[in-house]
Amino acid sequence: MDMAARFQEQFVFHLTGKRHGGELDAIDGLNLRPALLAGFRDLTRLRYDFPVVLVENAIRGGSVQSLSSVIDEVLQQVAPRGIEGERLRKHVLRLEREIRALVAQGATGWLSELWTLAAARFTSGPDETPGKVLEHTGAALESDGEVLDCGHQLPARVLRHLWKQVQVEKARTFHADAGALAVKLSDILRAAFVHSVEGRRAESLKASVGGPHQEIFDFTAMSNLLRRPGAGDQLHEGRRKRIEHALSVLRSQRFFATPEGKQPTHDAGPYEFLFDDCASAVQAFRDRLPQVLELARTMSIAQLEADGCYIEANHDPLFAEFDASALGPTDMATFPNYLVCIAPGRIDAPENVMLMEVLASGLPIKILVQTEEVLEDSPVSEGHLAFGARGAQLASTAIGLDNVFVLQSSSSNLYQLRDRVHGGVACAGPALFSIFSGPPSPVSSLPPYLTATTAMQARAFPAFTCDPAAGTDWASRFSLEDNPQPEADWPVDSLTYSDEELQRVSEKLAFTIADFVATDRRYARHFARVPRSHWNTNMLRTDEWLALDTKDQAGKVPYVLAVDEDDVLHRLIVDGKLMQAARRCREMWRRLQELGGIHNSHAERLLARERTAWEEQKQREFASLKDATRAAAAPAPGVAPAATATPQAPVSTAQAAPAQAVPAEKPSDDPYIETARCSSCNECTLINDRMFAYDANQQAYIADADAGTYRELVEAAENCQLSIIHPGKPRKPGEPGLDELIKRAEPFA
Amino acid sequence: MTMPATQCLIRLHQEHHSLEDYQGGVPRWCSGCGDNAILAAIQRVCRDEDLRPEKTMFVSGIGCSSRLPHYMKTYGFHGIHGRAFPVAEGIKMARPDLHVFVNTGDGDCCSIGAAHWIHAIRYNMNMTVMLHDNHVYGLTKKQASPTSPLGLKSNTTPRGSQLAALNPLSVTLGVQNVSFVAQAVDWVPEVMYDIMSAAFRHRGFSFVRIIQRCPEFLPKMFEPWLHDPQKTLLLSHKDGLQISAGLSKTYRNQQEHDPSNIDRAREIASLEDPLPVGILYRNPQVPCYEDLRHPAQMRTPEFIRAGFEAELDKVTVWPDQDAQTQRAA
Repeated sequence: MDMAARFQEQFVFHLTGKRHGGELDAIDGLNLRPALLAGFRDLTRLRYDFPVVLVENAIRGGSVQSLSSVIDEVLQQVAPRGIEGERLRKHVLRLEREIRALVAQGATGWLSELWTLAAARFTSGPDETPGKVLEHTGAALESDGEVLDCGHQLPARVLRHLWKQVQVEKARTFHADAGALAVKLSDILRAAFVHSVEGRRAESLKASVGGPHQEIFDFTAMSNLLRRPGAGDQLHEGRRKRIEHALSVLRSQRFFATPEGKQPTHDAGPYEFLFDDCASAVQAFRDRLPQVLELARTMSIAQLEADGCYIEANHDPLFAEFDASALGPTDMATFPNYLVCIAPGRIDAPENVMLMEVLASGLPIKILVQTEEVLEDSPVSEGHLAFGARGAQLASTAIGLDNVFVLQSSSSNLYQLRDRVHGGVACAGPALFSIFSGPPSPVSSLPPYLTATTAMQARAFPAFTCDPAAGTDWASRFSLEDNPQPEADWPVDSLTYSDEELQRVSEKLAFTIADFVATDRRYARHFARVPRSHWNTNMLRTDEWLALDTKDQAGKVPYVLAVDEDDVLHRLIVDGKLMQAARRCREMWRRLQELGGIHNSHAERLLARERTAWEEQKQREFASLKDATRAAAAPAPGVAPAATATPQAPVSTAQAAPAQAVPAEKPSDDPYIETARCSSCNECTLINDRMFAYDANQQAYIADADAGTYRELVEAAENCQLSIIHPGKPRKPGEPGLDELIKRAEPFA
Repeated sequence: MTMPATQCLIRLHQEHHSLEDYQGGVPRWCSGCGDNAILAAIQRVCRDEDLRPEKTMFVSGIGCSSRLPHYMKTYGFHGIHGRAFPVAEGIKMARPDLHVFVNTGDGDCCSIGAAHWIHAIRYNMNMTVMLHDNHVYGLTKKQASPTSPLGLKSNTTPRGSQLAALNPLSVTLGVQNVSFVAQAVDWVPEVMYDIMSAAFRHRGFSFVRIIQRCPEFLPKMFEPWLHDPQKTLLLSHKDGLQISAGLSKTYRNQQEHDPSNIDRAREIASLEDPLPVGILYRNPQVPCYEDLRHPAQMRTPEFIRAGFEAELDKVTVWPDQDAQTQRAA
């Protein structure tokens, strides 16, 4: 078969997805993977973000740690410098690899348990010493908690863990505030009792004194002395009831678990805030709203009472009308958040509608939507591929709602985004976490971590965050920075291999959605392997093919590079349906880029317009300068050349006008003080406190110049150390010694 | 972000105070004394920050300066010589909700109270400190103080003092955990008010040295600075003081200084002529001692009683075995 016929067969496959003739191979069973993933066959040998440790009782930021970072912490503590330390380091790093392998095989448990399990494997060998050393080293573990690999369970577990941390912090704050208020309110009641008739009875007085000393006092005589309480000692009945009610509400609330060591005050126990569908969460929120209002109202009343600021005439009517409309996000932020983890199979159309309603309502509900598929066969058009509208598109829709925290990411990126996830869980309003975890059952030879991370690499499930708390504009709120090479259509990496002549070849390779789909054996029909002998120049890599205009794509066939289990390179040509999906994927990515400020069409248009205007302006300036230079070069008749040699700058009207002499402010004949400079030293007010007075800022001014004599004005000016009193001219011509006083006043004019 | 409705309700009927609400009596200082200017400025700060008088505390030691709490209609503690800081620290520790101000003089703070001063800086508790520095012991009729200039003739140094003056700014800036240092002069009241406002708003130990006149015993000491504005160097910065246009006409000698630069602050602190006025250093990141020592568990009466019982049980001798067994059970 000649080359043209071979290419014809490839082209037919690209157009129809059908293999005609025997030159193209199906890829089913070949166990191929994208060439860029050739180096990631055994993840257990790599130190990377997974597995993670969900650390219990950690401070913020350290509640989700990678196994490697925990091991590094241990090594810093136990491995000294030198040969001994190096030996221990090697043992511990081997143990880390062992734990990673255990987890990859499905082992679960806390890190300390897995550590012991892995150390036992070393003990069972011929040399028991490393195992024993490692068991001993395990005691240095400071961070312990559940160990999780990147898998189907990860998103819900991580989110629940971070959510729990936030709730613990909220409970701590609440108990500190409510406890302090309860102590203050109890103090008020106790003080009232001590001052009451009841509190001053002999029995009460006796009960307030320690046992050994009760016999040395005459409590009856003491009671007689104290019997008459003062009028101010009585606690108003309304206030007593209010305080007692506030204490009762604070003690019986069910939103926060009772602190350790205290008896629960409510039989029913604390409320549950974890749900697996939106409707249940909303129903629980509605049911508890009256209690939320009561507790918020009580906290305010208790605060006012504790500060002694409750004014019944003013506050009673307002608190009587206190309803749900008075509660804003900041008030709600003090209460526990609701967490809804929607299982992947349950995200159907009714749930979607409810979810969007919840997000739009502004309720403090955090929702996890886990996505298993980003590509699926279109239910409308047979044989075509559709992006999973049920899950993957939710986040894009949610960012259109105001004040909703939205985070979309693949599960492989959750460790890197742990602080942002924490921020979303802790924020006051609603939050949506859309996480791609990959299918629950394996559909490729790739481990779940690589499936998740390649979905993000291929822009099939891009990562983004929209955080309303970060600012008021898109530039502050929206971020694409967690994607690899976010400014490019596809991330590019270098691939190095040996060619047939064993020469080292290195080339840049983009990772497109076609590469991602090639990892999924369910979509193997969209690819066909081309034997090396049939490779030709009309075959283009998918990113290059997509970059062509439609007319230039004719006659070209896109392919992806893949490797088999022996790391031999293969070219897989791609059918048109998948390339159509790839084009859609790229366009959706570009829309996201625009939101993230990358290649923003509005900004680029504005930039182009401004650049054109700037260039035109410069052209005009250049032309006028050129004209001026030419005019200067040709001397005007009757004018000396020297006078015109230098181009004159246009003279502005202001400059051209003769300088206006600014009339000097005529000194006033009235006395005055530079009040702003007064240091309140009392010198002047002691001379005459009707003539000199202090203003609202305790600084002197002349209140009444006629309330004293000119002599007093002059003496005040002389006594003022800052010399800011100006006596002016005499106001009463008949005052004795005026000539001398006028002379003395001259320095203060 | 809007204020939560509950906070609005709490603040709805908040009282607003006038200057008179803080004026506690007629000051007995000499006329022309710089203490009057300090009193006027701090009363303005209290009014403008709307501090509740019953939540405000002025603590002082001994000296002319330390009479200031008497003239405030707030709580006050006129303490003993040099011990204003320990008293203020105790108050802040027990009642962190109070606004604590300390008024101390150059003798009270820099001589007998110097040890307390150094450690108060280290503690960095949230309080505003005004060091009234008139370079002399005035209440006891003119003795040399630690900040008296070399050669000052006084009752204790009739031939002139022989030691160079201590610089309170340099000392404060040399202590660990320093978080706010400023210098004001009583004859520029506008700047003194701004500095005191900034000092009050800073969370931590805000140390303001106020150079003040003593017209009775050192009447000529600051005359050159009073009559020549060029001898006063105003420090301005977007994160520090912003000098008004009116003031800039008189005080043209200005310099931009970033209050976060401690090295430059130390250089400026050592200047004597021109006299630097403004915020020399500010670091809001330094932790406050009361926050570090804040108990994790609230000290309720029940908690304290339980603690006492537990401690006493350690040394209790139980008379018979049965009682002990019952107790253990």
